[in-house]
Amino acid sequence: MGPTLLNYRPWRGEFHAPAWSFWPIARVALSMMFRRKLFWAIYAFGLLSFLVFFFGQYLLAWADSQAEGEYVNVMGSRLQAGTLTNQLRTVMRLNGTGETYRNFFAYQGYMVMIVLALAGTMVVGNDFQHRSLPFYLSKPLSPWHYLMGKCLAVAVFVNLMTTLPAVILFFQYRTLYSWGYLPDELSLLVGILGYGLVLTVFLSLTLVAVACWLRKTVPLIMVWTTMFFMMRPLSNTLVDGLRYDPRWRLIDLWNNTYLMGNYFLGLHPANQPEWYEAALVLALVCALCLSYLTLRIRAVEIVR
Amino acid sequence: MPELLDPADPRGGDRAVAPDRSQFTPTVAPPGPSVGIAPPLPRAFGPSLLLFEQVSKWYGPVIGVNQVTLELRPGITGLVGSNGAGKSTLMRLATGHLRPDLGKVSVCGLDAWNADAKRHVGYCPDTDAFYEEMSGRQFVEVMARLCGYSRRDARRRTEETLERVGMAGRCERKIRGYSKGMRQRIKLAQALVHEPELLVLDEPLSGIDPIGRQEFIVLFRQLAAQGKCLLVSSHELEELEKLTDHVAIMARGRIAAVGTVPQIRELLDNHPLSIRIQSDQTRALAGDLLQLPDVVGVELGERDNLTVRARNPKQFFSAFMRLVLEENYQVGHLETLDDSTHAVLEYLLGGK
Repeated sequence: MGPTLLNYRPWRGEFHAPAWSFWPIARVALSMMFRRKLFWAIYAFGLLSFLVFFFGQYLLAWADSQAEGEYVNVMGSRLQAGTLTNQLRTVMRLNGTGETYRNFFAYQGYMVMIVLALAGTMVVGNDFQHRSLPFYLSKPLSPWHYLMGKCLAVAVFVNLMTTLPAVILFFQYRTLYSWGYLPDELSLLVGILGYGLVLTVFLSLTLVAVACWLRKTVPLIMVWTTMFFMMRPLSNTLVDGLRYDPRWRLIDLWNNTYLMGNYFLGLHPANQPEWYEAALVLALVCALCLSYLTLRIRAVEIVR
Repeated sequence: MPELLDPADPRGGDRAVAPDRSQFTPTVAPPGPSVGIAPPLPRAFGPSLLLFEQVSKWYGPVIGVNQVTLELRPGITGLVGSNGAGKSTLMRLATGHLRPDLGKVSVCGLDAWNADAKRHVGYCPDTDAFYEEMSGRQFVEVMARLCGYSRRDARRRTEETLERVGMAGRCERKIRGYSKGMRQRIKLAQALVHEPELLVLDEPLSGIDPIGRQEFIVLFRQLAAQGKCLLVSSHELEELEKLTDHVAIMARGRIAAVGTVPQIRELLDNHPLSIRIQSDQTRALAGDLLQLPDVVGVELGERDNLTVRARNPKQFFSAFMRLVLEENYQVGHLETLDDSTHAVLEYLLGGK
C-alpha cells in the first residue's frame, strides 16, 4: 500500500447511463443461479420436454420420408410407420402448427415454475434478507434500475427455457419439411415470440414482487405453488365439476398465460374465457406487482 | 462565542458547531427552524462536498434525524454517537439511500438522491452481505460496472483498487473464505473503485488487525490529503482519535457538535477541564491557582498531586505557564484527565 499506488489516473471518459447497469445486475443474478448444481439438474430435466419435441420431429420426418409403408419397432412393439406418424401428429401435435408450440410452452412452463420458485430467493430475496442492497443502491443507479436488472435476469432464464427452444423447434420443423406460405409462417413465429413475451413480462414481474415480499425460500415456494398450481384443480372443479361459468378459470393465472399464448398462436380452445379477459387479469396482476414494487422501492429506504 | 447544542433542546434546529480547523471555519447554526446553513467558507477551501440543509427524516412516528444542518469539506470527520442517535440515518441520507422528508442533502452540489450525485459517493456499509460465491475481484468489478465503466475500464480500476487496499494477491479467492479483515478491505475497494470525492465509511476499522488498521489509517489520511471528504463512523473511539480529531457528535437525531475534540471540549462550560498537576509545592500552587480567573476548583490529592478544574483551557494554560515561571514552581507531571473523545462524548451525551 505504498504511496505510489495511490495515484489513480483521472477518469476522462464518459460514464454509461444508469440504464446500462441492468445487465451487470442481471448477470450477477444469473451467475448466482448458474453456480448451483441443483439449477443445472432442474434445467437439464426441464430441457427433456424440448428434447422430446426435438427428436419427435426428427422421428416424424424420418418415418414420413424413409419408412413409409414399413413396420418399425418402437419400445418393443411393432408399429406401422403410418400409425407412428399419426400418433405423433395427433397426440403430441408435432405438426408444426401453433398447437405444437402451445403444448411445448405449456409443458415447459411447469419446469420454469419450479425453477423460478427455487431461484426467487436466490435472485432477489437474499438481497433483502442479507442486506446486500446498500452495495447496489450506493452506486449511481436508482432502485428501479436494480429491480429492472433482476427482472431482466428472470426474463433471460424464462426465455432460455421457453422461447428460445420453441424458436429452435420452429426452424427445425421448417428445415425438415418445407417453409409454408411466408406470412403464415411469420405470423406463427410472431405468435411464439408473443407467447414468450407474455411469460417473460408476467413471470419476471410476479417473481420479483413475490420474492421482495417473502424473501425466504419456503414461503416463496408455498405462495408460488398456490398461485400457479393449486388454482388449476380449483378452477377445473368449479367449471368442469360444478358447472360454473368458464370465467372462473381466470383465477388460474397459468391458464391465463396459456390463453394469451393461444391468442398469439391463432388458436381458440373450447370452454375457456376469452383471451382479452385473461389479458385483463394478467394486466391487473402485473399492475398490482408494479404497485407493490413501487411501495417497496420507497420502503427500501427503511428496509432493515 | 459558539455554543453547543443540548440534544434535548426543544427550540428545534441544530446549533452545529464547526470550530476552527485548517479547512473548517468556526460556524454556528443558530437555533430555530429559520436557521440557514453554516456561513459560507472561504473560497480557498473549495466547495462543500456534503451539505445537509435543515434535514429531517422520520420513520413513521419516530424521527431519525431532526433538522440537521451540516457542511463537510475535504478532510476526515468522525461521526460518533450512541446507538439510535441517528448516525446510520445520516449516512444513508448522505449516500442517497434515504430521501429526507424535510430539507435537502447535497453531494458536490447535486441532490444526494440523484444518481449523478452517487457518482461522487463511495459507501462502505457496516454489513457484510456479499455474494459469497463470487471472488473479491468479481465483486469489485461488478460494482465498477454498476458505476458506468466499460468492461475494460472496470477491470483496470478493479486491479488498481485491489492493489490499493492490499487485496491484489488474495482477490481470486471466493468471498466465502475471507476473514473479517479481508471483507472490510473488499468493502472499501468497492467504495473506492470509482474514485469518489466523498467517502462514507461505516465502521471501516472493525475486525481489522492492528497492522491492517494502521494501513487503513494511512490510506484514509492520504485520501484526505488528496482532497477527498471522509465521513467515518466508529464505535471505537480510540481508533477514531488516531484517525482524526475532527468529529461530528450526534445525539437524539441531531448534530450535537462539530469540530475538533479540544475545541468542543473547550465549549463544555458545564464541565470544566480537569488537569492533574504534580508538584512538590502543592499547597502553595493550589493557593495561587485559585487566584486565576478560569480556575473553578482545586483538589489536593496524594503524592504531591493536585487536580485543577478550569474553564477556557487556552487562557488557563497560558496563565498557568506564567504563574509557574514567575513563582518558579517545580512541575513534575501535568496531564488533562477528561479531554479525550470518550470524555467529551460522555459529557455531551450525559453519560449515556
